Amino acid sequence: MRPRLRRALAVALLAAAGAVQAGRSCEARPPSAIAVERSLTLAQHTAARLSASGAQVVVLARAGQNLSEYGLRYSHLGLAYRDGDGPTAVWRVVHKLNACGSAQASVYRQGLGEFFLDDLYRYEAAIVVLQPDVQMRLLPALRDNARLARLHTPAYSMVAYPWGVRYQQSNQWAIETLASAQDPAASTRDRAQAWLRLQGYEPTTLHLSALKRLGARVTAANVAFDDHPNEKRFSDHIETVTVDSVFEWLNRSALGGPVQVIR
Amino acid sequence: MFPIRFRRAALAALIATCTFGAEAQSTLSEASALSMLPVAVSVAAPVMILSAGAVLTVVAVEATSAGTIWVLERASDGARASVRLGARAAEGLSMAAGTALAVTAISTGWVLSAASQAIAFVPNEIGAALLYNERVTR
Repeated sequence: MRPRLRRALAVALLAAAGAVQAGRSCEARPPSAIAVERSLTLAQHTAARLSASGAQVVVLARAGQNLSEYGLRYSHLGLAYRDGDGPTAVWRVVHKLNACGSAQASVYRQGLGEFFLDDLYRYEAAIVVLQPDVQMRLLPALRDNARLARLHTPAYSMVAYPWGVRYQQSNQWAIETLASAQDPAASTRDRAQAWLRLQGYEPTTLHLSALKRLGARVTAANVAFDDHPNEKRFSDHIETVTVDSVFEWLNRSALGGPVQVIR
Repeated sequence: MFPIRFRRAALAALIATCTFGAEAQSTLSEASALSMLPVAVSVAAPVMILSAGAVLTVVAVEATSAGTIWVLERASDGARASVRLGARAAEGLSMAAGTALAVTAISTGWVLSAASQAIAFVPNEIGAALLYNERVTR
């Protein structure tokens, strides 16, 4: 490497590292009263829509960030299911969360309130109702903590490679868990990914320049690129599991219905 | 003075940091910090003091093994109520006696806020059905 380039890189790294300290969005900053009201109202509307749908299991998404730069509308998804019977039934969401920018994540079961009590970018939910047989196979898994944990990898990268097992991001955990419930042979992450390929799942390709990748890797513990194949990584093709790609796939493969938006 | 190329590289890195770096905290597959809003586990009467527009003052904060208890007093008539927050819910939340809280009634319960920032939520029956939190994996 030429000295000038090396020096530029070192400064770039320092500049990136310096900005991190200022830019952490993980401060324990209380939400505004109006944000709480809007989040919980969205949760209430979602519960009503889900109950009226007659479904037992849906894929549920929220818009926590503005991802329009990447052509994406939603940032995060979970698998929601009806818990209990009759008028006392409630909806729960199982989803994977990482604690505040860290590289470790866990699976949680939460209410719709918690799901939307986040720093939402748009107060809008989206659901895809799965086909009845897909729901029927998935429901017992969603109630069973051991099955939810089976394909969970704690090592988290926000842009984990969809066809690798070194890291696992939250949308990836959800579709791998969906896969394992559909086919008993999909009992490992590798096999679940093989099932997803067989069913025609296609991840989103993000075009991130080298500098963007460098900045992101240095500033955030929860972003890694070393699980991506070199030929894709170095040609700025970063593939990952996004909500929008999952919704398109569910619809295309007829595993689920159209996207329904709730506000 | 740095060579032009050098300056441009540093600037590009800063821009990269400010755009993608900021989003990277919680995006794409995000995962938020878990909700920071404490939820009341129980409210000891009179719930009536949680009427919309009421101004309450925190008169006492007690830490107990079952969680944190705030004793609230309504400014207009001195009526009191106590709100218990789960032990984990109140973690990281420091509430001093004398803090003034505003009450906002919403369809799912009551939001208690200080200086427009929500500091706790007291769910009604509809709100309670929307709330649940269990960590499935360690």
